[in-house]
Parts: sequence; C-alpha cells; structure tokens
Amino acid sequence: MVGPEFEQRVDVIVARYPAPKAALLPVLWEVQKRDGWIECEAEAWVAERLGVSAAHVHGAVTFYTMYKQRPMGKYHIQICTTLSCMLRGCDELTEHLRNKLGIREGEVTPDGKFSLVRVECLGSCGTAPMFQLNDDYHENLTLEKVDRLLDGLP
Amino acid sequence: MPKLTIDGREIEVAPGTTVLQAALSQGREVPHYCYHPGLSIAGNCRMCLVEVEKAPKLVIACATPVADGMVVNTRNERVKAAQASIMEFLLINHPLDCTICDQAGECRLQEYAVEYGTGKSRYEDPKVLFSKAVEIGDRVMLDQERCIQCSRCTRFCEEVTGTGELAFFQRGERTMIGAYPGRPLNNPYSANVVDICPVGALTLREFRFQSRVWYLKNTPSICAGCARGCNVMVSVGKQQELMTTTGQFDDRIKRVVPRVNEAVNGHWMCDEGRLSYRRELAAGRVATAQAPAGSELDWHEATRQAAGWLKTAALAGRAAAIFSTRLVSETYFAWHKLFTGLGRVRIGVHGILRGEDDNLLIRADKGANSRGAEWILGQTEDSQAILEAAGRGEIDTLLVFGDALDPEDTRAIDEGTRGKVEHLIYVGPFLDATARAASLLLPAAAWSETAGSLVNFEGRVQWIRRCHRPRGEGRPGWRIAADLAQHAAVELPDWSSTADVLQSLADSVEPFRGMTESRLGLLGISAEPRTAATA
Amino acid sequence: MSEKILTRNIDKEPSLEVYEAGGGYQALGKTLRSRTPGEVIEIVKKSGLRGRGGAGFPTGLKWSFMPKEKDPARPHYLLNNADESEPGTFKDRLLMERDPHLVVESTMLSGYAMQADICFIYIRGEYVHAANTLERAIAEATDKGYIGKNILGSGWNCELVLHRGAGAYICGEETALMSSLEGDRGYPRIKPPFPAASGVWGMPTTINNTETLACVPFIVERGAEWFAGIGNDEKNSGPKLYCLSGHVKRPGVYEEDMGFPLMELIHGLGGGMLHDDRPLKACIPGGISVPVLRAEDCEVDLDFDSLAKKGSALGSAGIMVMDSSTCMVEALLRTTNFFAHESCGQCTPCREGCGWMKRILTRILNGEASSKDLDLLLDVANHIEGQTICALGDAAAWPVQSYLKRFREEFLQKCRS
Repeated sequence: MVGPEFEQRVDVIVARYPAPKAALLPVLWEVQKRDGWIECEAEAWVAERLGVSAAHVHGAVTFYTMYKQRPMGKYHIQICTTLSCMLRGCDELTEHLRNKLGIREGEVTPDGKFSLVRVECLGSCGTAPMFQLNDDYHENLTLEKVDRLLDGLP
Repeated sequence: MPKLTIDGREIEVAPGTTVLQAALSQGREVPHYCYHPGLSIAGNCRMCLVEVEKAPKLVIACATPVADGMVVNTRNERVKAAQASIMEFLLINHPLDCTICDQAGECRLQEYAVEYGTGKSRYEDPKVLFSKAVEIGDRVMLDQERCIQCSRCTRFCEEVTGTGELAFFQRGERTMIGAYPGRPLNNPYSANVVDICPVGALTLREFRFQSRVWYLKNTPSICAGCARGCNVMVSVGKQQELMTTTGQFDDRIKRVVPRVNEAVNGHWMCDEGRLSYRRELAAGRVATAQAPAGSELDWHEATRQAAGWLKTAALAGRAAAIFSTRLVSETYFAWHKLFTGLGRVRIGVHGILRGEDDNLLIRADKGANSRGAEWILGQTEDSQAILEAAGRGEIDTLLVFGDALDPEDTRAIDEGTRGKVEHLIYVGPFLDATARAASLLLPAAAWSETAGSLVNFEGRVQWIRRCHRPRGEGRPGWRIAADLAQHAAVELPDWSSTADVLQSLADSVEPFRGMTESRLGLLGISAEPRTAATA
Repeated sequence: MSEKILTRNIDKEPSLEVYEAGGGYQALGKTLRSRTPGEVIEIVKKSGLRGRGGAGFPTGLKWSFMPKEKDPARPHYLLNNADESEPGTFKDRLLMERDPHLVVESTMLSGYAMQADICFIYIRGEYVHAANTLERAIAEATDKGYIGKNILGSGWNCELVLHRGAGAYICGEETALMSSLEGDRGYPRIKPPFPAASGVWGMPTTINNTETLACVPFIVERGAEWFAGIGNDEKNSGPKLYCLSGHVKRPGVYEEDMGFPLMELIHGLGGGMLHDDRPLKACIPGGISVPVLRAEDCEVDLDFDSLAKKGSALGSAGIMVMDSSTCMVEALLRTTNFFAHESCGQCTPCREGCGWMKRILTRILNGEASSKDLDLLLDVANHIEGQTICALGDAAAWPVQSYLKRFREEFLQKCRS
C-alpha cells in the first residue's frame, strides 16, 4: 500500500516539525495527492506513522473540508457561494453548473469526469463570481466562460 | 495565599486554585459539565460562566485562576441569564429520551434544566439527528444524539488510558463522538467513560435497562478484584420496592461504580473489577451446609463434624488449611486463632496471579487481601506445598476456604487432593470444583454480603460493607470459625459483629493497631510498615 | 497615496533577483547586524502598527509579551497567519502570489524580533498557487542564506516552514491555528494561557497576520515616526490594503493610507456602483463578521477608531458593497450559513446557536416566520455573543444584531402578520 518513495516523502515532511503529530495535515495532503482521496486504511497508516490514534486522524479528515472522504471527479469544481460571490451571481452560476453537468452538489457525473461542491469564501471576492477547479482558481466567470472552459477539458 | 470573595463570602485558597474549585470547596454549587477533577480543563460547555467584578464579560469558573482580591458572583441575574441560555442551547437538539434513558435520575442535564433552565422550549425547528444505540465497545453503548460534546470521554481516552479510541468527527452542529471503524472502545478501563458522561450518551451495556437509579440502594465498599482495592459504590435493587416477575424480592447487585480515593484509585476502576460481580451472579451458590454437595445437613451437625475432624487431625499433626487471598482480615484472624487453639494446623495461602501490573490500576495479584493474609496468618506455606503433602498422604483433614470465583483457581487444588485426603472441608460461597469434591460444605457470605477489612498492595487497610443479605445461610467467615471453636472447645472472644473482630485484630496484630470501623471510614488508613506480629 | 509601499512589487516578477534589486532583504541584513530583538520590538511599538487580521491589536504590545530573556530549553515560534478566510478579504493572497519575498523577509525579520527558532507560514489550503509561489521563494531565500543556520553571519538560526491548512475558516483564529499546526482539529483554546506564555507545543509563540508582518521591514528601514505619520493619527497608522468587492465596477485590492474615506473607495477608486441605476444600500466595511452599515452611515474613514465610532469595525478591511437590489434577509442568511458551516462545534452557544439562527432565518426568508421570531433571533444572537471560547461566536452574532437593528423593516415585511 505504501511504497518506499512515499515513505521517504513523508519522512522529509515529518522532519520539519518539532513533533511528528504536527505533520498530520501535510501528510494527509500527500495521501490525497497520491490517491485522489483519503480512504480508511490510509488513515490507519498515517496514524501509525505519526504515533496518534486512528480515531484522531479520522477526526482531522472529517474536520477539514478539503480532504475528500470518497473519490470525486477528475475535475472537482468547488464553487464559492459566500456573500460577495452571491452578490455577483454565483447562485445563477451554480444552477447553470447543475444543469450543465446533470448533478447536484456533492455528486459525481456518471463518467467520473466532474464533481461539484459548494464551498465558502475562497478569497477571490474581487474577481467574483468564481470557482476552484482542482487546484486552480477560475475568476470573473460568466456562463459563457464556464461553458468554454468545461467543454474544452480533456 | 490569595483571598477571594464568592457571593459575599471571603475565603482563602491555595495559589493556582480556580474559581470553580474554590466555590466547590465551599460546598457552593456552580453548575458544570465538561470540568472533571481527574481530567484536563476543557472550558467548552460554558455552563460555569460566572461574573468576576471588573471583567467585561462573564468568565468560565473552571479555567479562571483565583487572583487575590477577586470578587465573584455566581448567583446574580446576569449569571442566571447566562446559565438559562446555555441550558436552552443544550436542549434544542437534545432528544427527549428521558423515559427510556438509563441516565434519568442521575443526569446533569435533567438536574440543571430544573435548577437553571427556563422550563419551556422556544425551539420549533427540526432537531439535528444522529445514530442511537451504537455499540461503541463491548461494554459501552453510545447514543450520539444525547451527547453534549463535553469531551470528557475523549479526554479520558487521551489522558488517562492514552489509547485515543474516541474522537470528535465532523464539525459545527454535526460534531459527534465516534470510534474508528474496526477499533472500538475496548481498553481495560473503557467503562469509566460511562461514569464521567454527564448525560446518557455513554451507558454501560450490562446496566442498560436493568433498573431505574431511584430503585437502587448504594453501599460504599471496596472492589475485591485485585490487590489495588479500588474504592467503589455497590448498587443493589431495593428489596422492599422491587420484585421480579417471578415474585422474588430482587436485591441483586445491579452495578458497581468507582468512588474517588486519591490515595488508591483516583476516580477510576478497571472494567474487570467493575464487572466482577457478574461472575458472582453466574456461579452457583452454596446455600446451606451440605455433606457432600447436594445433601443438605443441619448447621449445628455440620459444624460439629467439621470441628471434630479438624481437632482430631490437628492433634495428630495431620491437619491443613488453604486460604484464598481474597478473604477479609477478620476471617484470617478468627481462623488463625481457631487453628492455634486446635493444635498443629499447616496453613497455606493460595495466591492468584494473572497477567501483569499495568501502569494504571490493575495489579497482577488478584488477591484483594494478600497483605492481610501475610500479616495475620504468620508462618504460612504456599498452597502447592500443602497439596504436595496431601499427595504424599500426610494430610487427613484439609479445609479450603475459598472466595474463588474462577474455576481455574481451584482446579489445581482439586486435582491435588482427590482421594488422598480423608476429609475435604470446603468453606465458601460458591459451588466450584473444590466444593463439589468436598465431603463437607459450609456456606460463607460472599464479598458483597459481609463487612470486613482488606489490605491492598500498598498496605492500605480499607473497609468493605455488607450490601445485601447473604444468599441462603451464608455466614461471615469469622462466625463460622466461632461456631467451630465452640464445638472444639477452643476459646475465642465473644464477638457479635465483624467490627468486634477488627477490634481484637487491632489489639493483636501490629499494623492494625488503633483501627476501628469508623476510623477506616470511607477512605481507609495506610498502615505503617511495621512487621506483623500476632499476640 | 503617492508611493505604493506594500504593493510596490506586485507587477514585477516575483523572483529573488528582482526583489533584491528593489532593495529587498536590506532591512533583514541591517537589522541582524545592528539591532537587538528588543530594539526591533520597540520600533514596532512606536510605529503604532495594529493587527490587520481582524482584531486590530497593537502589534508592538503583542510582541512585548514574549519572554525577553530566552530560555534555551524553550524554543520560540513566530507564526505568519496566512489563513485568510474572512469573506470579503483577499489582500494577503495578493502579497503571497505577487511579492512572496516580502512575505518571506517580513516573516524572518519578525522572527528575529521574537527570537524564534522556527517560523511557520500557515497558509489556507485553497491558496495552492500562492503556496507554490511561496515554496519557490523560500527555496531561493534559503539558498541565499536568509533562512537556516547562522543567517547572514549573525549567529541566529531559524528555519521557515510553509504549512498548508485544509479548509477551515476557524484556523484563522490564532489559537485554533496553533491547534491545527500541532496536528489537531482546529479548535480554539481557552485563554489564559496566552500564546506568548504557552503557545505551540507549550512554547512562547507569536501569531500575526501576513499584511501586519509585511509592514515590519518598512518600519525598521524607514523608522517608526515615518509609519506613524501615515494615516489619520498615530493610533491608526501606516499603509493599508483595502479589499473592495460586491456591487462596484472595479472590485480589487487598493493600497492607500490608513483612514481612506469609504465613499471615495467605492465611488472613486472602485469606479462607483456596478449598475448606475442601483444606488448603495448597505456596506460591510471589515469582512463579513463586522456590523453592517446603511448607506447613510458610509461617510466614514476606513480606520480602526473611525469605524468603531460608527458602530462597526475595520476588521480585515474586506469592504463588501450592496446595492438596492440586495435582499438583506438573504444576505444575512448567507452570512449566518457561513458561520454555521465554519463553527468548529467545540462550545455550546456557537455550536447550537448558529444552526438555530440559520433555521430561523430560513423560515423568515420563506415567509414562514412571525415577528416574534425576529425577537427570538436577536435573543439567540445576544446569548451567543460574549459566551463562547473564541470570537467566531461574536462574529456570528454581530451581523444578526446589526442587520436587525438597521434593516428591521425589511425583515418585518417577510414575516406573517
């Protein structure tokens, strides 16, 4: 399940902190980077490696919203729906995405290509409305821009 | 030493004391959930908000260290409004389970709702729902909806056992307690979370639906599961008020919970000790005198026979006795006096060692009174030596006094004695293998049916109390000795209670000097490390 | 404002060469050579610098809480709070993405003042681009000897670690940030103890906002008086990054002197209302937590004290502009939803109360509430405020209190008779 290369990356991370437990968030990021999400067995491995209980790890995974507890789409769309984006039309944008992709928030398209979630303020209020697609921000969105972007994704 | 004024009364406290501790030390209730003296301070329930003059906001008493000159109000309108608001917040999503919840009658939510709440609900929206009746461990049941997220249980698993099985999952109002799938709450101290849970979220599976707490009679006693001697409270059914469906009065033990004793067990006890009473329920009892097992015998006749066999064998130097290490000191003392009066009786002690001492409470020595036996019985042998002698045909009459709850503990004795000893006398509460093999059985009271003192591994003498009537004709150990002494013309003092025996014990055996039942009280006395010497 | 200070490099390449060419890392070098940590604290104290993360606490005062004499058995830590999650706020992101070396230098310089052994930059998980940019800058700075052992020959050893969060607004609260950094759920901690006495791993710790720290190299180089002289008065001083969003033509980050007039930001720099036929209705001047202002309250300078006098706050300087098309009930529901979602759940009033307020507001918006529910809503907010472990409870209460106070009519209209 865990190869030597991965273990080495984890060792480097753990070495940065005065106590191994502090490496929890960055190590969980490594797991998610490798697997796309964080499954139960991975939580147990992380717990063992950092000297904490598995329940502790699960508690962190369920607290921090960016960790995925199940596989999501190849393109994970996180649309901001807090106040400034609401003022600039994010609700209309969300509705458009639902219709275009045929899914509701929290769901994955049947072909596994897209998933959609609503998130809170992404710190891009000046370029609202916007969403984060995987790691990247896409700002100053219009319905047309969204269509062009999503239609052009491989 | 800082001085503070609480509700108009000035008191002096040790530096580092919190306002809550100061108030509680004065018997002044400040309501609280998450604070527990055996755990770290969390400060999350917000129930203990009090007013400190000059502070802009109310502060939580549990986390506010006393400063010299502080003026605290715990009962004014501002504080009452805060307490009412916290109660309201706690109740809006709380399920109305009281009618089926084990905690009813000892539930802080109930008590504080009456004392500090508004008495009516303003909440009209749907409650947040979670899983109910989650088997979170072999001994503990979790109802997530009832949980008030005080974090006592998570802190216990983190700080006391260091095992971390319980954690909070999710966030906000969806926060809930849980265990990692496949790693349930099964450490040796798991049931303590039930004691500390202020509501009915964590309950003991063995006690689930067994009894309402107002039908329990509570007696402070000492656990006899190992040499630690955790202080406990034993709850039995209230005989007069409760009958089972079969029409029998029910005063069985319903549950055992720890009592606080900082010198012995802190606030905790282990699961095995807590549930050890169930083995007593399961074992068959020796209800009357029998000779052999199954054929009842008149008590007078039985004790006469036993006394006769012992006397004859003692005079010939062919008598022996094996004691369990779980008996109260008064039993050892009385029998020791009897044997001394009879002549030569070889005395063996059967120790019970299982597992290892852990770094918390559990002792490998499962003898609750090993040290008492050591101090009182004087020159003793290991039970093995006696059994070997019996195997060589050197013993005519062997008396086994066992409070042995575990069949394996006595199998060794039984296998060593069959057919080699002419008279095997069993004195004890349980119909175990030895009892079945014995030629004569004398019923003794079990642990919860008698008073007496136990000495723990650190030399602390503690008093157990009678929680309910003995089953059948079970008698305290010392009384059986006294009855035999009468038949054997051995003179023993005229005792009429176990406390009387303790008196004689205190006069004769050095470590017990000066001890009385009332002096032992609820917390026991540490005997000075003097060498035992019998009078 | 004539000269841009904090944003002087944002249109340049974010490389070490360019940064140094513009005078970057001079402040760090000079300070290590000629000033003690205590002296740096004094300078910052005199400058009047106040926290730009939301609370506005005087930075020099906060710094002075750290132990003056360093105990060799007790490492010190300086945490750069780059968790920027207050809705309406996006200024720190600008600095991190476009002038990462300013963030690095200011962190190290402040770390020196705190006698830190390790500096951490705690960056919100969503800022991936900023995190990558910062990692590159940290690598460059380490190679150049600005980070690590015996920095610039000073004898001071200090590492700089970038630590990514994973989606929790509450981790911007300084004690929750510490919990998260230690590998726990982002639970705020009760105070006392205070971070300077017992912070991360029980050691003396200082936490400051990214923009706050970014001011430090300039204060050290140009002097406390220079900084104090910018803005309305010495209690509201220095250059300030304002984040403008909502119904305006030119939303974005604007650097001006502290105390810039709100109306000029909206109508001048911001290009005026998004739609010319929809006038200003309301404005939140300091991020979603602060009390809302009606249009008629918006003649005010954007500084700590001026806004406090108007019954609001500068907070994180996230100015959110709402025009006449805005339904205030919906805006408040969206706001309360945010707090219910982000509440960590640790303490009773916030955990239970935010959800309750959300549900009452939903009923109000759907026309399923009565005017009694407005009183109930306010009462709930009043009982969350001041009774929680951290300020998120207050932050959830203030919008409810201010919206009901200043826009009560609109809420009443939604209620059944």
